[in-house]
Amino acid sequence: MTSTLDQHSQQDLQHGHPAPRRRGIFMRPGYLRALWVTPLFFLIGMYIVVAIRALAGWDPVYDWEYIVLIAGMVTAPIGFLLGIGAFDYWLYWISGRPTLVDDHANHGAYSWKDYFKVNTDHKVIGIQYLVTTFFFFTVGGFLAMLFRAELAQPGMQFFDTQTFNGLVSAHATLMIFVFIIPAFAGLANFALPLMIGAPDMAFPRLNALSFWMLPVAGTLFLASFLAPGGAFATGWTSYAPLASEQPFGQVFFNMGVQWAGASSIATALNFLVTIITMRAPGMTFWRMPLLVWANFTTSLLVVIATPFIAGSQFFVMFDRVMHTSFFTPDNGGYVLGYQHIFWFYSHPAVYIMVLPGFGIISEIISVFSRKPIFGYRLMAVSLIGILVLAFSVWAHHMFVAGMADWLRIPMMISTLLIAVPTGIKVFSWLATLWEGKIHLNTPMLFALGFISTFVIGGLSGVYLAAVPIDIHASDTYFIVAHIHYVLFGGSVFTIFAGLYYWFPKMTGRMYDERLGKLHFWTTFVAFNVTFFPMHWVGLDGMPRRVADYAGTYGALNMVISIASFVLGASVVVFAYNMITSWVRGPIAGSNPWRAMTIEWQVSSPPPVFNFDEIPQVVGGPYEYGVPGARHAVLKGGALQEAHT
Amino acid sequence: MVAIAVVAAVIASLVAVLIRWLPESASEEMDRITFVFWFATIISIGIFALVAAVIIEAVWAFRVQPDDDTDGPPIHGNTKLEIAWTIVPAILVISIGVVSAVVLSKNANAGSDPLEVKVFAQQFAWKFEYPGKVQTEELVMPLHRSVKFEMQSADVIHSLWIPQMGQKQDVVPGITTKIVITPTRTGNFTLICTELCGLGHATMRAPVRVLDQAAFKRWLDDQRAAGAGAAAGAGAAAGGGAAAGGQSGGGAAAAGDAALGKTTFASAGCGGCHTFKPAGTDAQVGPDLDNLVADAKKAGEPEDQYIEQSIVDPEAVIVSGYQPGVMPTTFGKTLSPAELSGLVAFLSGKEAN
Repeated sequence: MTSTLDQHSQQDLQHGHPAPRRRGIFMRPGYLRALWVTPLFFLIGMYIVVAIRALAGWDPVYDWEYIVLIAGMVTAPIGFLLGIGAFDYWLYWISGRPTLVDDHANHGAYSWKDYFKVNTDHKVIGIQYLVTTFFFFTVGGFLAMLFRAELAQPGMQFFDTQTFNGLVSAHATLMIFVFIIPAFAGLANFALPLMIGAPDMAFPRLNALSFWMLPVAGTLFLASFLAPGGAFATGWTSYAPLASEQPFGQVFFNMGVQWAGASSIATALNFLVTIITMRAPGMTFWRMPLLVWANFTTSLLVVIATPFIAGSQFFVMFDRVMHTSFFTPDNGGYVLGYQHIFWFYSHPAVYIMVLPGFGIISEIISVFSRKPIFGYRLMAVSLIGILVLAFSVWAHHMFVAGMADWLRIPMMISTLLIAVPTGIKVFSWLATLWEGKIHLNTPMLFALGFISTFVIGGLSGVYLAAVPIDIHASDTYFIVAHIHYVLFGGSVFTIFAGLYYWFPKMTGRMYDERLGKLHFWTTFVAFNVTFFPMHWVGLDGMPRRVADYAGTYGALNMVISIASFVLGASVVVFAYNMITSWVRGPIAGSNPWRAMTIEWQVSSPPPVFNFDEIPQVVGGPYEYGVPGARHAVLKGGALQEAHT
Repeated sequence: MVAIAVVAAVIASLVAVLIRWLPESASEEMDRITFVFWFATIISIGIFALVAAVIIEAVWAFRVQPDDDTDGPPIHGNTKLEIAWTIVPAILVISIGVVSAVVLSKNANAGSDPLEVKVFAQQFAWKFEYPGKVQTEELVMPLHRSVKFEMQSADVIHSLWIPQMGQKQDVVPGITTKIVITPTRTGNFTLICTELCGLGHATMRAPVRVLDQAAFKRWLDDQRAAGAGAAAGAGAAAGGGAAAGGQSGGGAAAAGDAALGKTTFASAGCGGCHTFKPAGTDAQVGPDLDNLVADAKKAGEPEDQYIEQSIVDPEAVIVSGYQPGVMPTTFGKTLSPAELSGLVAFLSGKEAN
């Protein structure tokens, strides 16, 4: 863990080990090998199903639903991962072939092609995550614009109701499982090891595998549109027993969540071990940047909660394919059990989707106010408070579900109390701004935009925590407004903020500030015009997840739809800025923001192995304005005086 | 900063007051919900104004000049302030919690003399049963008397909501859920399903009328009289699934009673998805039932047999241009034999009137 670049050098790499035999182009890890291994594994899965059905005498022997489920969603993805080489090292080790613990053959990006291969460098994986998740963000946003076109007027114009329900469900699913959650994993993957002074993540190969499971999940979600009967159409919540009776597309959701969940759990374990064991000397827990604290608590949430959604989706699927009765009312199933298990994950998931954002905002507010974060320890402790409370509030999604009446009051109180640690964070950010030297760069604008929209989302959350109001507002557009203020105004704004903030570190180039500001203002205005009126139509009586609605809401829905298209267009500005700046933006120095945290003390982009020598941490991460204060000392690095 | 806070509070208050956020209340429960809403709104306006004022003032007063590279004052915290913004929000949210708990217990209290109405939900229709086994497809409620609903679902989860009356409750297969509504003004309303229940979810609605108590009594008596005479076969149609199948069907002829078929067409919610001119429906989720003769020919089956099969086992033949797995497969269980044969008669054009 404290190994230096010398030990990693190419010379040492080959020392004492015979160079491995160069293999044929179809045997080398990569897409060409995946091209034949994936179909091979599909056939293996297919004939396992066929053989079992033939032996058992079940008719038909070729039942395509079971074949697609086993071969298409289980064995073929394994074949793909095998083909591109995600398992090579472990399989070599198992089979007794020579392996090299410090094998860096697939480490670091030396050309753009390396970003399309299995790579063990956390910085490469971080960028792979971000590009992949923004692809799904674009697709998910496009789906949203399709159904906003349908909703612009009452009545039915473009889609039938099953297609509409499918679009709504796929939009939410893509955004949650293959955009927001993994986008944070991508940002943290890039920044976190640098910030704690580690040469990489604790388990680089597991890290690579985590990433490569993500396209599998996203592909399954999208492939459901090709299934007979259309995409899964029960919302991202996919309530039983409706979900076990729907057309086959539903199974794509059940299984896609498994791949996304496995990816998420593996990454979280990786973060936990990295943070606990690989901090640089002197980096005590109370000297960790708040981004590290945020990912520490998020990872705890992920490893504890995510198995519950995996279970809930398996059980729903078993009700369909194996005729079990977990959640069907006949044969003694417990219909509400689904919702309890689902929300036991999916409420903490809301914090999985926002705590890393809190971390990003803390970094940005402090750097661009040129002040220490206000109340650092309480900021860290409030994260722990949210972590604990997050597991005691799940049933607030079920106030109208018909669960035991007595559960409502305690769930309401714990839900209201979670506003306290969240409030602490908001007030601390505000106090950090106060008397600061505020630089309104794009990351800072997104951070301030985040605080304003997140406060509105938090306040509407307080309304929803109050059971009587929730009973009225539940399952209406008020909920849609609330979750978008929390997940778009909250999470997505922080992702944008983080991307602009670390863009010079990732690429070595500076983004275009004018385009960044244009992106912020179009996003901020269009976001509010899209989602604020939804509070109103919802309270007034428009339910969510309907393709058709009462004519009185026509005018507002037209406004909402138009604003949503502007919101979609703002992403084009963002994409143009990112791509052109990456190719030919002005060269950014190692530390354009004059930040103190360690990732800014190395070159941009950072060296493949991060540090020549592991840094020595000597103080807090946010000592702006303290004369002579330093966070870390790097040998041979271009360390800058923090207070300049 | 105080000035900005006042301006922000005034703007937020105007937004709160000038927009009619909640529908005009039509029940005692909604009156109380409205009270909690305003209680929370006043607190929210205060917090929003504070946050908005600090952000605007900070950006206004502390924005640096482009060439200013200095740092701000190294303030690390202030324990008193941090305790204050932990305690004060805690007190505010707990006060909302207490108010909510009181309102919740009042809203669940049906009083000493509630009218008990059973609700049966299925994809995609509502049915109501009044004391004396009077079944209707329209919900009629007496003014100023609490109505206690006991609700069951035949298939998936549905949810009952009348926006002006506030109360909402899921209808869950396998359990009976309860809700209380006490209407405070007469008029016509709409009951809507708010839990995604499949294809016809958006159209799963039922008309609601609130009558003064004398008019309600007259209406109920009329329903009882009409019910005793006519609908031996219209018995608990959507009722409790299989149980309903057994107890009805006494008076229906084997050939199928097209009049019963017509009421069944409405009560089972067929019109939520299908166009059928004799029933006056024009939905386009499923095949147009005016083309049944042609569709039966294509399938090569006698018309009556084709219709019955398509209701009981909708997957057997899929009309081209439509997808399997869309139509509920539960009608074979939820419809009585008389209703089924009535539907076949009605749909095959053996005119009802």
